[in-house]
Amino acid sequence: MIIVLLPLGHFLLAALCLAWQSGTRVLTLLSLLVDASLVGLLFSAFSQGETLAIVLGGWEKGIGIELADDRFSLVFCILALLLGGSVVVYLWKERLRPYFYMLLHLLLGSVFALLFARDLFNIYVIMELLTLVSFLLVGYERKPYQIWAGLKYLLLASLGMGMYLFGVAIIYYHTGTLNLSILTTQLIGQQNASWLLIASSLLVSGIAIKAGIFIFSLWLPAAHASATPAVSALLSGMVIKMGVVVLLRLAPVFPLSLPLEVLSAVTGLLGIIYAIYTYDLKRMLAFHTLSQIGYLILGIGIGSELEIAGSLEYAVGHGLFKGLLFLAAGAAVQATGKEDIPGLIAKRSQIPVATRVGLLIGTMGIMGLPPLAGFCGKTLLSNGTDSPVIQAILVLLSIGTVISFAKLLPLFRLERGPSSPWPKTVAYVILGLPMVLFLPLTRLFLPIEQWRESFGTIPFLESLLMVGVGLLLYRFLPKRLANLPQRIFRLEEAILVILSGFFLIYLLSVLG
Amino acid sequence: MNFINGVTIAIVLFGIGLLGLILRRDLVIKLLSLGLVNGSVILCLVSLNAQPDGVPPIVRGPGGAPYVDPLPQALVLSAIVINFAILALALVFVMLLVERYHTTDSQRIEHEIEEEEGP
Repeated sequence: MIIVLLPLGHFLLAALCLAWQSGTRVLTLLSLLVDASLVGLLFSAFSQGETLAIVLGGWEKGIGIELADDRFSLVFCILALLLGGSVVVYLWKERLRPYFYMLLHLLLGSVFALLFARDLFNIYVIMELLTLVSFLLVGYERKPYQIWAGLKYLLLASLGMGMYLFGVAIIYYHTGTLNLSILTTQLIGQQNASWLLIASSLLVSGIAIKAGIFIFSLWLPAAHASATPAVSALLSGMVIKMGVVVLLRLAPVFPLSLPLEVLSAVTGLLGIIYAIYTYDLKRMLAFHTLSQIGYLILGIGIGSELEIAGSLEYAVGHGLFKGLLFLAAGAAVQATGKEDIPGLIAKRSQIPVATRVGLLIGTMGIMGLPPLAGFCGKTLLSNGTDSPVIQAILVLLSIGTVISFAKLLPLFRLERGPSSPWPKTVAYVILGLPMVLFLPLTRLFLPIEQWRESFGTIPFLESLLMVGVGLLLYRFLPKRLANLPQRIFRLEEAILVILSGFFLIYLLSVLG
Repeated sequence: MNFINGVTIAIVLFGIGLLGLILRRDLVIKLLSLGLVNGSVILCLVSLNAQPDGVPPIVRGPGGAPYVDPLPQALVLSAIVINFAILALALVFVMLLVERYHTTDSQRIEHEIEEEEGP
């Protein structure tokens, strides 16, 4: 019952927001509180070993649409609530049209719906809904560059969902079902059928366009950098993760291990290289979204229990610190009027203290300093694998992250600054507090012995060493702007790159 | 073996739509090509699962022959509605861009936006 109520309630509230214009802020905040208690109920049922599953309309499992909850959906529900709450508080004093809150409710509703979906076609519909809503959110201020970024996003994402639906058609023709759990049993023994390889690479490339993987999501830097800070925080923290959730659902069913591992290396390293040489703060954060997705799909690609737990933790951690970074970056840009990092550093005395602290906590989290959120996920991911190649990729990713965020360090001198308005401070606290308390919270994901094993002194020292090496390398790195190709982010070139990415995935799944 | 069936036509249309998206600079034509791509997917979904000698899946209908699977039609219906919504919204935003730049040429719009400023 609750898992139907969560998405549906938000869709109803979206309509209510338009009808009752004056009270939308309060209504939204109250609805988030109600959601929190509902998710709490789900969580207590889940911890007693009950998983709630419901097939809509009273049909049998193979015919009706199945909704179910599990560990992943609950964890991402909590992330969505935290991000949604902080965004509502962050925007408390700004005069927004009720239209914005309507979109926010639609976004939350479709996020919840996706988390409980267990059906290929249901996932398609909800992904399209997410595309539409986030397109409208990107273009909320109606500035030309926002509209163009949103339009590019809409075209590419719609093309991607076309590819996804092609894959769904092939799968339905061969198996006669769309339910993921039934598919799992039907596909045993056919993992190398040629139709399955084509279908799964179509599905994955379609989702990859939405999931923030470098060679596919070429719309992302423009869209996330040009949207308003609150929208960027939602998109980068939550909507991108929804693509990752779909990959997480598809990975056990289809033969995807090798493609996902290679994609994670590609997106991680390319994202880092672009981030190091980008000096526009929000654009750099957007490139970092691309690179950090590498961690998430690496764990999904390997697929062992510990790796998935690592991915999950890193996903939550990334949602928290990327949301915090985007919110604080938006406030900093607003306070100084500068968007590039050197300009911000020059005017750093105008940035409120709370904003600087928020940026600092976010930076420490993304660098993986213990015991903040990023550290836990990274440690679990590197503990879960013995392969030297994957270890090397993880080390490169961590060091690259430190290098690209080292640019921000001069912002954090101890200086007096103007005080921050209270809603923004509260929003930073909502996202920052769980990050600081993350290490104890990871006990929820792991059994106690494994938790003790995973977080000893050695990972602490390792991650400190990684940060040290990164800061040292930043000193010796050539500071000039390397000429990285920016053409691939144009619409036409992006489509070509996506097509070649599709062939890459197909090739890899044939090899795997 | 009959090579001209729904699936091959769908694949060809998908290719034409992709070429349109890549090669044509006019935004409206790009949107039409996107419509073609999505239409071809729908054609593929319907024709892959077609049963020419089946009977309608109605309980009181004529018996004997196997029932047609109603699910693809239901899926296609939602897909068509979604594609309509996407095209309509995209057209609205193309209109906003045209009002501002007085052109539908995507490369000129992109160029002007890069000139203006903007991340």
